[in-house]
Amino acid sequence: MNETTNPPGHTPTPEDIDQHIEPHMMIETVPTKRKIDLVRKFKEEKLFAFGVTIVALAIFLAFFGPVISPYDPNFATGNVSVGPPNILDWPGLFIDTVFLGADPPHWFGTDNSGLDIFSRTISAPRTDLQIALIAALLSMAVGTILGLLAGFFKNFLTEILMRTSDLLQAFPVFITAMILVALSGRSTGNIVVALTIVYMPIFIRLTRAEVLGQMPRGYVEAARAVGNSEFAVAFRHVLPNSLVPSLIQLSTTVGFAILLTSGLSFVGAGVRPPTAEWGLMIALGAPQIILGEWWQSIFPGVAISLTIFGFAAVGHGLEEDYR
Amino acid sequence: MVAETNESTVAGSSTGNILEARDLSVRFPIVDGPDVYAVRNFNLAVKPGEFVGLMGEPGCGKSTAAMAFLGLVRPPGVIESGKVDFLGNDIFKMEEEAARQMRGRDIGMIVQNPRYSLHPMMRVGDQIANVYRAHNDVSKKDAWNHAIDMLRMVGINDPDRRVKAYAHELSSGMAQRVLIAIALSSTPKLLIADEPTSGLDVTIQAQFLDQMWDSCRQTNSAVVLVTQDLGIVANYCDRVVIMHEGTIVEDADVYTFFKSPQHEYSRRILNLQREAQEAGESVLGKIDRNAAPIVEVKDMSKLFPIRASESKVHAAEHVDFELRPGECLGLVGESGSGKTTIGRCVLRLVEPTQGEIIFRDRNIADIRRNEFRKFRGNLQIVFQDPLDSLNPRWTVHQVLSEPLKLHTELSGQAKEDRISELLDLVGLEPSMRFALPREMSAGRQQRASIARAIASNPDFIVLDEPTSALTPETTAEIIRLLMDLSAKLGIAYLFISHDLTTVKYICHRVVVLYLGQIVEVGTKDQVFNHPRHPYSRALLASHLFPDTTNRRVDRAVRETLEGEIPSPITENLPKGCYLYGRCPSQVDKCRDMPQELAVLDDGRSVRCWRVAEGDLPEEPAAH
Repeated sequence: MNETTNPPGHTPTPEDIDQHIEPHMMIETVPTKRKIDLVRKFKEEKLFAFGVTIVALAIFLAFFGPVISPYDPNFATGNVSVGPPNILDWPGLFIDTVFLGADPPHWFGTDNSGLDIFSRTISAPRTDLQIALIAALLSMAVGTILGLLAGFFKNFLTEILMRTSDLLQAFPVFITAMILVALSGRSTGNIVVALTIVYMPIFIRLTRAEVLGQMPRGYVEAARAVGNSEFAVAFRHVLPNSLVPSLIQLSTTVGFAILLTSGLSFVGAGVRPPTAEWGLMIALGAPQIILGEWWQSIFPGVAISLTIFGFAAVGHGLEEDYR
Repeated sequence: MVAETNESTVAGSSTGNILEARDLSVRFPIVDGPDVYAVRNFNLAVKPGEFVGLMGEPGCGKSTAAMAFLGLVRPPGVIESGKVDFLGNDIFKMEEEAARQMRGRDIGMIVQNPRYSLHPMMRVGDQIANVYRAHNDVSKKDAWNHAIDMLRMVGINDPDRRVKAYAHELSSGMAQRVLIAIALSSTPKLLIADEPTSGLDVTIQAQFLDQMWDSCRQTNSAVVLVTQDLGIVANYCDRVVIMHEGTIVEDADVYTFFKSPQHEYSRRILNLQREAQEAGESVLGKIDRNAAPIVEVKDMSKLFPIRASESKVHAAEHVDFELRPGECLGLVGESGSGKTTIGRCVLRLVEPTQGEIIFRDRNIADIRRNEFRKFRGNLQIVFQDPLDSLNPRWTVHQVLSEPLKLHTELSGQAKEDRISELLDLVGLEPSMRFALPREMSAGRQQRASIARAIASNPDFIVLDEPTSALTPETTAEIIRLLMDLSAKLGIAYLFISHDLTTVKYICHRVVVLYLGQIVEVGTKDQVFNHPRHPYSRALLASHLFPDTTNRRVDRAVRETLEGEIPSPITENLPKGCYLYGRCPSQVDKCRDMPQELAVLDDGRSVRCWRVAEGDLPEEPAAH
């Protein structure tokens, strides 16, 4: 049965669909490995590899950023508004610092209060990533379950749920989050809750759409016929088959949640200064740009962009494989 | 049988063959792997007026070969070698323009899935006329009139009106006929039909094939019919060509083929069918006709409401039947007759609107759903599409564990042993224990699905077209397996199918449905060999049994039904007999006279007053 008339890349014809058993699918042995080969994917897809590198770096910094930073990110050094050293001097300075024990330079300069920008930039992921990851995971967990219920049991209650999520989505994410934080108070916990609420409707919609697509599938009816209760059918059978879009969305959502966390700090509705946080750093540095002190905002800005890009690239890469 | 003379064809060819493929090979380059030859060293000669059936399992290259006759191949395939002589011209060496002229004029092609093959935004008349005008120098008006003539020729009622219809306004049977009209519009000398009737009901299939047969005999066109259906081959073809892995393994006269198939593949199919039939008969002997019925359905109806409308879809109306332990009851009818709904209602996967379902003296039709779940271990179902009915993320092991967990006390090693036993019962290799559905062949998927159904030791299984998604060979294997299980475990089956061949092999009694009503109930012998109700008679006459002793094309009267099954919405339903308008034996009285199911002397029930009063004499069956 190695014969095939269906080489890869050809569009399926009605015939193929009718006889949905293409001969090359009939394998005699069961493969032991079913997961996507991430190592191979990493080697072959440059964008995905780049994304993974950035995400890995961000996660590494979230754990060890404050530990490896040359200065205490929240402690003024006394060198106020120092510009970064010339890029050509960096190798020399690096050797001096590491091998000759010289005082570490302010790689990215310092801000008005004398805080070291480099230390703060690499320490910020602990705050940003923590808030963004927890919020994204929470909104996915709650959102998929609500979406599952909304798709599986179509009744008055779930209709109310869907209209509520429409209402939430009708406002710009940023405005909603700002209002929520302003109402509940500027604390990390409240920011997480606000982010969770604003990103939940995406997951509700995605999961509901996927569940609605799964409902007419035969295995759902088969699960009932075997004798499962409705809840068992929903959670044991339909949910695992409806998760993929949400998992892909998760990566992108983490990126946007980082952006939103920084955005909230920027307008003063986020974490309190002097916490090392990218948005806050940009906010503090923004007025100084006009004075020529560009370094205060640029470095955290680049850090945000790269991180969001990294998460989006990972999401995009996984999406291609799961579709 | 074969018309030997035809001036236009003989003129161009020295051998008298209309089409000659010699040493044809089609290669598909594969990105990471060796190239695949879909067709290899293929030799075929077709005489004028000949009906050739090209058969083989899926993926054997039969469609690719048929397309290659036209000099076409799906990308990225390439025609590697060989030559196709059509009326003395080598198709591969022709100029593209000349080849294009020839396709459509001299060679017609009918593909499967008519709905997708018609242009959705052009009137069918224009589509026929366009093809006709592309090959003939005629005015628009003449072409349009020709289109009307063609529609009349392929048996479409009211062609003057239908010619202005768009594809979506036609039923699939009619769309398929429009495709023949297009293919035949320039009276081609060769017609290539690639599974033209897959997905059509038997009555429509018979109408269609009759039409194709007649039209081609009229114009003395040769036909290459690509199919998997032994019934079509037996009833219409003059010659059978069997393909296996890209090469022809058997090329024989149709009578010789069915009498003594040469190749192992053909022999296996025919043998498996015989075995399944024998198995069915051996089980039949063991049934205690006086035992209390295990499942009894009384006066069950299912009406589906239509949104924003008063009318309803009458999927099933006042259905009564019963099954004894170990019995296999066939439920047959065209699509839209309510077979599947009835099967679902008995298991309450769809809630019946009214009626009783009695399982072992207990009415389970109106108990609460949660309470009903306890009965699910006893009442099981096997679905039509095995891949769809298995959870795509679950291995066979997980699939089989679930019913054991829900309905038995087994755990640990005992459960594992039971799973091994189940795999063994359905003939699945132990290595398939941890396979995912998509990693198995369709036959194995269906075996896993059957294993799931028998895991909780049920007394009754609904088989909802368990073989319609399978190849003839796998079908025979699965039927064989089902009969073995019935013999071993004494399970009663409600076998739902539109494939009368399978029903004939394994069922003991048969219920014939039309528009949600039972029109005839009787033993297999009564219904298959001496059908009484006009609908059963037409259905059986339309069905193509793989048997050459009474070919449909040789019959003096090809009994069939006019038109198509109406959609069973309240306002569509006839006032009197539901068959009125399609019935060959109707009289005026039938129109307004509702029909009751009457029991005849020989124990069968028939819903036709003329039969009940003896107006319609019993005629010998058509086969």
